[in-house]
Amino acid sequence: MKILEQLSQEINKCVLCGTCRSVCPTFGVINREPASARGKVALCSAFLNKEIGLSDGFIKQMNECVQCMACMTACPNDVNVPDIILAARAKIAKEKGLPFAKSFILDNILNSERLMPAVMKFASKLQGLLFKGVPEESGLHRRFHLPLIGEKRLVPPLAERFFLEGRKLTEAKGGNGEAEKRRKNLSPIRPFADSPIRIGFFAGCLINYMLPHIGEACLKVLEKAGASVIVPLNQHCCGMPALGMGDVKTAKSLAIKNLEAFEQYELDYITTACATCGDGLKRRFKELLSDEGEDVRKRVESFADKVRDITELLVNELRIQNSEFNRKSKIVNSKSEIVTYHDPCHLRRGQDIADGPREIIEISGAKLKEMRHPCRCCGLGGTFNITNYDFSMAINRSKAEDIKSTGADIVATACPGCMIQIKDGLHHLGINTKVVHVVELLADNIIKQ
Amino acid sequence: MLSKNLIQELTRIIGKENIRTDEEDLICYSYDATNQKFLPDAVVFPKNADEISLILKLANKEGFPVVPRGAGSGFSGGSLPVEGGVVVSLERMNKILTIDTDNLIAEVEPGVVTGEFQWAVEDLGLFYPPDPSSLKFCTIGGNVAECAGGPRAVKYGVTKDYVLGLEIVLPTGEIINTGAQTLKGVVGYDLTRLMVGSEGTLGIVTKIILKLLPLPEATKTMFAIFTDMRDAAETVSKIISSKIIPSTLEFMDRDSIKCVEDYSYIGLPYNVDALLLIEVDGDKELVENQAEAIKKICLDNGAKEIRIAVDKKEAKKLWQLRRAISPALAKLKPNKINEDIVVPRSKIQDAIIGVREIAKKHNLINANFGHAGDGNIHVNIMIDKSDKAEFLRAEKAIREIFELVLGFGGTISGEHGIGISKMPYIGMELSRSAIDVMKKIKQVLDPNEILNPGKIFPRI
Repeated sequence: MKILEQLSQEINKCVLCGTCRSVCPTFGVINREPASARGKVALCSAFLNKEIGLSDGFIKQMNECVQCMACMTACPNDVNVPDIILAARAKIAKEKGLPFAKSFILDNILNSERLMPAVMKFASKLQGLLFKGVPEESGLHRRFHLPLIGEKRLVPPLAERFFLEGRKLTEAKGGNGEAEKRRKNLSPIRPFADSPIRIGFFAGCLINYMLPHIGEACLKVLEKAGASVIVPLNQHCCGMPALGMGDVKTAKSLAIKNLEAFEQYELDYITTACATCGDGLKRRFKELLSDEGEDVRKRVESFADKVRDITELLVNELRIQNSEFNRKSKIVNSKSEIVTYHDPCHLRRGQDIADGPREIIEISGAKLKEMRHPCRCCGLGGTFNITNYDFSMAINRSKAEDIKSTGADIVATACPGCMIQIKDGLHHLGINTKVVHVVELLADNIIKQ
Repeated sequence: MLSKNLIQELTRIIGKENIRTDEEDLICYSYDATNQKFLPDAVVFPKNADEISLILKLANKEGFPVVPRGAGSGFSGGSLPVEGGVVVSLERMNKILTIDTDNLIAEVEPGVVTGEFQWAVEDLGLFYPPDPSSLKFCTIGGNVAECAGGPRAVKYGVTKDYVLGLEIVLPTGEIINTGAQTLKGVVGYDLTRLMVGSEGTLGIVTKIILKLLPLPEATKTMFAIFTDMRDAAETVSKIISSKIIPSTLEFMDRDSIKCVEDYSYIGLPYNVDALLLIEVDGDKELVENQAEAIKKICLDNGAKEIRIAVDKKEAKKLWQLRRAISPALAKLKPNKINEDIVVPRSKIQDAIIGVREIAKKHNLINANFGHAGDGNIHVNIMIDKSDKAEFLRAEKAIREIFELVLGFGGTISGEHGIGISKMPYIGMELSRSAIDVMKKIKQVLDPNEILNPGKIFPRI
């Protein structure tokens, strides 16, 4: 990862034209220059020129960015503002240290393959005491005051059984003679004789702990599409939340652990249904491990080359649109629900994927109705939503209204983070539009078949 | 530096939430698109004319500079606080007050983003034509201050052609209304026209009444490729003389094209010397006929290739070519000197040849593109500011380019304004007495020189 000082050339590329003001979501809410990407770059430039130090005002501005990448896409000079801001956060974390609670969680829990599930398990048992269910909603509201969790906030419940836990049980039960072997080395669930395509599935924290049904849906669709899927059980958090907070050390350590978890298998592809994880696996791992020597560089490159978003894998590699699958799917789904699609920032801009998810909606037999601004950020911004909840929801407001005005039955997207945020936003406006991952649309059809 | 007392006084007027004096905030209001920086002493965010009036009265009493600012996207430094003082950011005054579909007028606050206003009126089947290339982020207040233009000027004119009236706070704090809500109005001097393009030196605009047009039913976009610039120039004249006024008539010279091609491989023929991007709008049938007529004119006059966009998506692609120039140029050298000269339409070709010779003589990288329809050429000289010798050569070249332009009966700025960027050259175009008249007007309206000082007129 480049440090802020190494990005001075990138910072100087900004000619202060102001184009980013037209797309920056934090500026859109605050409507004052320091909230814009241009303002933040100017502050980084002033910091490098020693005009200002790591003041509270500087730290606040660096924290108030959702990393949506809209600025760099609009920028006539291709200035990579998100990376400049990440480098500034890393600088802040290094010089000022992370707040104790943050660093404790990052160092000791997120980074541990035993502690993290244990803590989440404990939390999932505890959540009934702290939160109450919302009628007709699959979310929770807090029962009494809790730090970091606002009164109106709709919190997705932690799953009773985590995705990776469920996988472990499935593997252990086994159906044939290979059960024992699988238990030991976590080998493929069901190798397809006619399909040599071997896929490693990366769950990511949100799917693992909160929305395991998306993971299950992915496995179901992938198998139906003729691939054999492996879910390495010793996989970890992708590390992007840590990187977002400026904790490069933890992000690096998680990258290495994930690399090792997937290197155990000979895989053709590694896939994930989380846009942010996917962006991290494809791009950030390489950057994080760029100075770890030639051997690691080669390993991480071979890893990153295999990564595909689930929609990309289904449409570009497995070509499900040409399969029997497609034809049947359309027949089963005759009621033609209207679906609108939200482009996750880290899929559309991070991975340049826009058509795949839309094609999947078509394949599912649903009717796609575009919203006015499908690429506008939902406002989650990873941990930005936790540290700046009201700000985050203010950004979401226009997204929720945009969805509402389509009159769609379902809003589909391709990132569990966006799903949680959009659901919360719609709940604030009292709208009951169903929120799903595009892969769920396909999985539903398989059940109907 | 403003004293503590003065800051307190300002805070009383505007409220604690709407004044900023922290270093970080001052830095963010120190620059504009000229890429130059001057730190103010404070930034205020008023919400109406009354608050601005009180600030200006205080400024006259205490003698500190006040600088109005929209989006800070100007190319001449109009919003830079060159002498410090208080920046009046109009970001909070961003409401579209009315869109009157019966009388085809609208009333807006200065902080409204031009593009957002255009989309709002287009939703109602109406049209606000001025389209500076920064329209997605610049503000109407800034457009009024600089009298912004854009590609559509060839057919629809510039900002001043759409401003019917203004509410404006004078430098001494009085709030006046100019013009009327009607298309006609000749009561007294035309203060509206005086204010439009005055670069924030004669008053702070707080409300703007704009004229609207019905939205044209259809548009058609095409581009034509020429292997000889003279053919392109001839084509432009022929289109106009055949009584077709396109809504856009943009051109790119070979250096711009080459630069775009090197940078993004669009697949243009190698020996292209000039390219015209043409758009016509109006009734569906008329647009089809005009597009055909233009196609014929292009081919008759030596166009090597012509492409007509079949739908909006393809039109967007053609426009991308034009919009790719700036980023492509940025790859050549880090800094760009961007002049917006205008010559009579018939002199475009001579002007470009002249500019190229000057650039060559001074060993500078140059590319030209712009609005062929109205003779407005964006002359770009790419430099590296850290190379002092190159910078000096560029300054010399610019003076020679301006001499050339004035020799053709043109003007040194079509749409960016003078601000600080062109201040040293204003005397080349305007006579001593003309400048004196302007200075006298400034003196009458702003006797203490507190509003946007250090702009337009050199201090000697």
